[in-house]
Amino acid sequence: MILTLHLLALVLYGLATALTLAPFVGLRAPPRLLTIALPCAGAALHVVAVSQLTLVGVAPALSMLALCLVLLQLATERLVRGSAVGFFTGPLAAGLVGLALLIGLAPGAEPSAGRNVWLILHVALSVMGLALLALAFIAAALYLLQFRELKARRFGQVFQLFPPLERLDHLNRVALVAGFPALTLGVLLALGYAARFAGGLHVGKAQIVWGLFTWVVLGWATWVRVVRHWGGRRAAFASIAGFSAVLLVYLALKLAQPGAERFL
Amino acid sequence: MGIKVLGVNHRTAPLEVRERFAHGAHEVPGALARVMAAGASGGVLLSTCNRTEFYLVADEERVTPVVWDLLGERLPGGTAAREYGYIARDRDAVRHLYRVSSGLDSMILGESQIQGQVRDAWEASRAQAGPVLHRLFQTALHVGARVRTETALGSGTASAASAAVAVAGKIFGDLAGRTALILGAGDMAELAATCLSDEGVQVSLVANRTHERARVIAERLGARALTLDEAWPHFATADIVLCSTAAPHAVVTWDRVGAVIGGRRGRPLCILDLAVPRDVDPAIAQIENVFLYDIDDLQTVAAQASVRRREEIPAAERIVEEETDVFWAWYGGLGVVPVIKEFRARMEALRAAEVERAMRHLGHLAPQDRARVEQLSQALLNKFLHQPTVALKAAAERGSGYGLLEALRRLFGL
Repeated sequence: MILTLHLLALVLYGLATALTLAPFVGLRAPPRLLTIALPCAGAALHVVAVSQLTLVGVAPALSMLALCLVLLQLATERLVRGSAVGFFTGPLAAGLVGLALLIGLAPGAEPSAGRNVWLILHVALSVMGLALLALAFIAAALYLLQFRELKARRFGQVFQLFPPLERLDHLNRVALVAGFPALTLGVLLALGYAARFAGGLHVGKAQIVWGLFTWVVLGWATWVRVVRHWGGRRAAFASIAGFSAVLLVYLALKLAQPGAERFL
Repeated sequence: MGIKVLGVNHRTAPLEVRERFAHGAHEVPGALARVMAAGASGGVLLSTCNRTEFYLVADEERVTPVVWDLLGERLPGGTAAREYGYIARDRDAVRHLYRVSSGLDSMILGESQIQGQVRDAWEASRAQAGPVLHRLFQTALHVGARVRTETALGSGTASAASAAVAVAGKIFGDLAGRTALILGAGDMAELAATCLSDEGVQVSLVANRTHERARVIAERLGARALTLDEAWPHFATADIVLCSTAAPHAVVTWDRVGAVIGGRRGRPLCILDLAVPRDVDPAIAQIENVFLYDIDDLQTVAAQASVRRREEIPAAERIVEEETDVFWAWYGGLGVVPVIKEFRARMEALRAAEVERAMRHLGHLAPQDRARVEQLSQALLNKFLHQPTVALKAAAERGSGYGLLEALRRLFGL
């Protein structure tokens, strides 16, 4: 059931992505309703699938991250009044669901009620934080592309389909300012969970050092936005630097300590 | 003599060249006078941001070098204007003007501004146009009106002014509450300012070389009037600057606004330069958050909105073709009657002279016989002239009499 629901969600995300990208290959833009309805249907199936998972391990985390991305994509449809965010979130969500399926998804044993609340909060906040940071990265990338086109006075598909600069800048700010505290809280909950239920923190020195490094980079990107009032291109580059740090550190740690049993 | 159009347009010349060829209203009589002095019997100069075209009734060999020289003088380094130009003759020239006035030849397909520009060109050249071009321009306006009412070629908002709104919208998103500064008080500036105002942009300042003209426009837009020199500090606060002055060179230069824009602390500034020649020094676009667009850019954006209009092209072309036939029939018939009259008079004079000469040797003939000879010569002349006269009139009605007339004039020295 979990696999079937994930597969159906994957197909719907894939279809939505193909429709969203159609204008870039010279095809007619699909009706906006369709580009919203397909990921909506996919997300509905995905929610049912995720609710049956135990949120432990890489595959469930990837699946949940994909779901959060799609939900954020649908939320931003209203904020930026366009489906341009879907150019990135669509393929990313489809890829993450595909990866989760490859790694293997299966229902697991439920932890006790007290542990469950900690775990759900930790996973939900961490994954939502990561998804928001990904959204900030996407908004920054869209901003830089649209900025480049506008400066170069090119009026092609990017100009036509991407949202206005100031809306992307606003989206980047909102996602970064919400994403950083969410991720921080998620990590703090993980520490609390480990101390209370797992008899201490079982992580290597490298994970602590690189985790802190990532947190500092993200904190800096948020600080310059909020305190120094950076905007436009500088803020976009800062967001990209922050999310790139998250990705690179994650990949480096997973390569150093491979294993599908834990997300970090 | 025939109808000719010589010129350059947005397809044959880049903006840098077109802006050099652009003639202000005060330059038109002088330019036409030079061409008329070369032997043209009528002339109209149509000069817009997209085209500079001389419509002439003239011998091509005599006026063509004058027109290219006249335009070439405006190019640097001895570049030949002919490299950017084109010539259309007779029926093609008529069709060309009809396509221009109906918006078929515009960069923004079906744009309506050209109709007013054709009218203005005709008005400005009224003294030199002559009867044929008067008729041609009068009918061109009629063709433009027909195309706009009978087809959907002018539907939608594919104008440079609406493109200005679209471009500003891609920078700011919602335009409501943004502030705009207008430089120049021409029709184009007012049109674009009105479009921005309709989107909620607060047009707060109108600056012009002459304060009085700025005041008139400012009152209409609910803004404050300034002189150009007073406008530069406002580059620090305005979100959108719309330039459309009639200045012959850039007025918004680095020296005047570079430092002021630097004080914006990265806030985007959208500068829409609708003027030809351009009002804004292109170097201004190098400032990080300045987005500068000229008329070519805006017309490119607007052109994208004209996809639907393309479906109306066949219907519009049919109207142009019909009206070209009508004009050409009129033009062909225009010279037929006097030429036929002259031709017949010349033949009649010959006949009378020959009959009189013959009669001097036929003095023995009775009056009835003399009358019969006279009658015979008259009948022969009528028979000889009947077919050419009928053919000429028929060709004139079909709109193809011009060539026959020319042949007749040359053959019989009319």
